[in-house]
Amino acid sequence: MALKASQLSRDILVAFKGVLSDRWPDIRDYGDVEAKKLAQTLVMIEALIVSGKINEEQARLHLDIQRNATRMVLLTLEGLGILAVEEAINAALAVVRDTINTSLGFDLI
Amino acid sequence: MRHADRAIDHRMRAGIVILVALLAASGCTVRLISGYDEATDRAVTALQKKTEAHLVALESADGLPECTHEHHRQFYDEAKVDVSAIAVRAAAIPKNEITTEQVMLLSGSLGALEQLHRIACLSKDQIAPLRTQLNSSFTAILKLELAKRRGG
Repeated sequence: MALKASQLSRDILVAFKGVLSDRWPDIRDYGDVEAKKLAQTLVMIEALIVSGKINEEQARLHLDIQRNATRMVLLTLEGLGILAVEEAINAALAVVRDTINTSLGFDLI
Repeated sequence: MRHADRAIDHRMRAGIVILVALLAASGCTVRLISGYDEATDRAVTALQKKTEAHLVALESADGLPECTHEHHRQFYDEAKVDVSAIAVRAAAIPKNEITTEQVMLLSGSLGALEQLHRIACLSKDQIAPLRTQLNSSFTAILKLELAKRRGG
């Protein structure tokens, strides 16, 4: 059976989309939950500043910690995205291997 | 224009197929990020527990003489050592740049926490947002680390 590039590319894209659509809800939900938490803490810090319970130096330190936490969440989102892409690529590679081996009738790869 | 678009789309798809075929033919599995590291998982989890114990102790000491930084130096000294060890290990693992950067940010946050405590005792009002931010920080590192288990 001859390999058809058009069919193979469609199968590869299906593998990509399948993995990414499986992973995306988890990534999105994590981002949503953390964004809400960090928004709440920003409001709490503002209340401390406005009420005079902390001075400028203390406010700066609180905001440093806030910024670091936000940055860390964004880094995790980046990492989860990269892992999803990696899984999608490997799923596509598996499609190619299976297609080639089926086409040849034996396991070349 | 539409003919040109179709031609570009066809070339892109052909390019993807060729690239993927070459990768498949080499028998390789692509790995873009390091694998799961149990030692990092355990150490970060332990540091989170230690940090939470510290915040709980500060809440209990709110308004009391024992609330000062001097009474809690041990936590800060130990946390510095713990986070340094985690950072060194993370940096030694290939393709682990994201986790390494996260641990450096955590180190910065713990440093800022100590500076806050040196200025004045930490009230319950301050501890509440700090707890959320630090837990978000720890969760961020652990979330990614656990995801590296790949199918686990």
